[in-house]
Amino acid sequence: MATKTVRLSVRLSGVAAATLLCLAASGCQKQRGAETPPPATGAPAPQTLTIWWAQWAPADGLQALAEEFGRKENVTVKVHQIPWSSFQDQVFQEFGKPATAFDIVVGDSQWLGRGATKGLYVDLTGWLPSAADVKSLHPLALKYLAEYPTGSGHYYAAPAETDAMGWAYRKDWFDDPAEKAAFKKKYKRELAVPETWEDLKTVAEFFTRPDKKRYGDVLVTGRGYDDIVMGFEQVLYAFGGAWGDPKTMKVQGALDSADAVKALDFFKAMLKYAPPGGSKLGYGEALEPFVNGSSAMLMNYFAFFPDLAKKMGDKVGFFAMPKNGARRYASLGGQGFSISTKAAPAQQELAKKFIAWFLQEPTQQEWVKKPGGFTANAAILKSDAFKSASPYNAAFAQSMDIVQDFWNVPVYNELIASTAQQLGEALDGKKSSKDALAALAVEHEKILSQTP
Amino acid sequence: MAPALLLLLAMNLFPLLFNVYLSFTNADLSGGAVQSIGARNYTVLFSQAKYANALSTTALFVLLSVSIELVLGFVLALALRDRLPGKPVVLTVLLVPMMLCPVVLSLFWNLILNGHYGVLNQLLSALHLPQPQWLTDDDLKLVSILLVDVWMWTPFMMLISLAGLNAIPKHIYEAAEIDRAGRFMVFRTITLPMCAPLLGLAVLLRATDALKQFDLVMAITGPNDATTQTLSARIYQVVFRDYKVGLGSAYGVVILVAVIAVATIFVRYIDTLNRRTGKAQA
Repeated sequence: MATKTVRLSVRLSGVAAATLLCLAASGCQKQRGAETPPPATGAPAPQTLTIWWAQWAPADGLQALAEEFGRKENVTVKVHQIPWSSFQDQVFQEFGKPATAFDIVVGDSQWLGRGATKGLYVDLTGWLPSAADVKSLHPLALKYLAEYPTGSGHYYAAPAETDAMGWAYRKDWFDDPAEKAAFKKKYKRELAVPETWEDLKTVAEFFTRPDKKRYGDVLVTGRGYDDIVMGFEQVLYAFGGAWGDPKTMKVQGALDSADAVKALDFFKAMLKYAPPGGSKLGYGEALEPFVNGSSAMLMNYFAFFPDLAKKMGDKVGFFAMPKNGARRYASLGGQGFSISTKAAPAQQELAKKFIAWFLQEPTQQEWVKKPGGFTANAAILKSDAFKSASPYNAAFAQSMDIVQDFWNVPVYNELIASTAQQLGEALDGKKSSKDALAALAVEHEKILSQTP
Repeated sequence: MAPALLLLLAMNLFPLLFNVYLSFTNADLSGGAVQSIGARNYTVLFSQAKYANALSTTALFVLLSVSIELVLGFVLALALRDRLPGKPVVLTVLLVPMMLCPVVLSLFWNLILNGHYGVLNQLLSALHLPQPQWLTDDDLKLVSILLVDVWMWTPFMMLISLAGLNAIPKHIYEAAEIDRAGRFMVFRTITLPMCAPLLGLAVLLRATDALKQFDLVMAITGPNDATTQTLSARIYQVVFRDYKVGLGSAYGVVILVAVIAVATIFVRYIDTLNRRTGKAQA
């Protein structure tokens, strides 16, 4: 009896172990985009082109636009959207596999260095100039969204979504006769869209009425990714600071300069007019205090403005980053199409075909009609038709001429993390601007010394 | 038993040994050639101020959360030990936070604690009370995470304490009553010592769980916040943001050694308590 029991338990253990192993093995199978089974007639099955992008309106626009390519080429284009908070993690984990589930990734400009040096992105240097008219692309879009090293003429991406930071403002508040009169009485000048950073601060101060739960400005200050970095960047450069010298990789003297300290002090001063909790607002969180009617002005990427315009109609207007003296900068946004080196050669060729089609002017004309679809085509950006097509396009076109990006070196993420931490400590009052930037400059140089 | 044992070894031992191996390499999250770099990851780890910061934050979090949960849980268990009207309903309501997904709860608390539109500050504003910045004030960020953790896991301590209290034989209390022992004396010499082994086990379980604290930090302040970065958040930052799998593995090994050391000491202490309780009952 005891022997029978032992034999039975051994058999059951074996069955359980085999079942678990089968389940584990089936879970390890490569996941791909929707694979259409071959048609019964014997005609070749349509290929699938899989694009990974963050989950937001421009990705919806790309899916809609890509259907035209799909019809033309008998291809299924699948734009797989991943929430921003896990987009980067998932992409680079996917690159760790022998083959990626995507053929194209619409990656951030900062990823270029890592993608290029780790052999993750296909080198498009030889192909892109022959497949597309690169001169038709805005030079700054090409420089920041496609090149690594920046300005080298080596391409590892093609501009997909061009973007920049700008401002949305409550047009109805600005146009209100009572507000205009009160502003003129207090500041002895007309209430208007701010041209300079000082103007913006003055207007923000005017509209800040905490007892009525009204605030002057909403800044992007989130610490999760590069939110606070991009929020601060345009102020840093406008005041004469810089992240460092990309040629020498020297940071001290630029990031910890007196001008940079002034910039951070100014940024901190702007927070006085932000809603409570305003020192820790990510891109998405920053929209809420503006949409709920409690803030006069909002800093954010233009990609978020189509939705704002839709929700708020005539109440909202838009303007480009203000200037400080002669210096006017806007933090670059946007992403480029990069082809995975771990996609099959046939898929890589299909990806190139798609990118070449996307960059054509007729396609770009359709792209700008999609919500959040911002073009890198210089002619379209300059055209009156584009500028008048929406309330934010003119400000966007102006912004593209003044964009500035962060480091795109392979260690970009460590630079972003350390910047977010030090700037955060300065905004939270834990450190002075001078101490925070001095510590940051030292950290950046240490991290950059690891760059291959 | 052999196939099941093999499977268990494969799923536990292999990851552990592979992790130790990776800790001596320059493994990158995006793949590429893996090369041995000796103990460089450990040298880097121990020289990083962020490691010391994460260690002290984790230690402080574990100490405070477990202590508060133990005291509150035990008090609740004492209150619920006797028969009450509606006791099953009260118990169920108290257990709800423990039964829900921590990540979802963390995201909800992130909204509740938001300084501008969060429900908590709206309530405080309605009562004309000050509205602290729970998620941005350096002094309050860790407190906010502690509050949520205590809210979620006090019921667990309460359950274990209740089990310990219900296991005390009634005749011991009757004997104490006959001897006219006061309530505090009964609590100090009977209730507490006889519950001690189970309370010790509860503390060990909660402490090992609190050491892994990640979801609250991730959802409430993010993994890169110096004030609240626990060891788990630090590992996430190193592996998934800095892409340094080798260094992250070294962190894992160091934490594993620390946890084994603490757990071994604790288990021996619980054994001692068990022996003492066994003698007392005899």
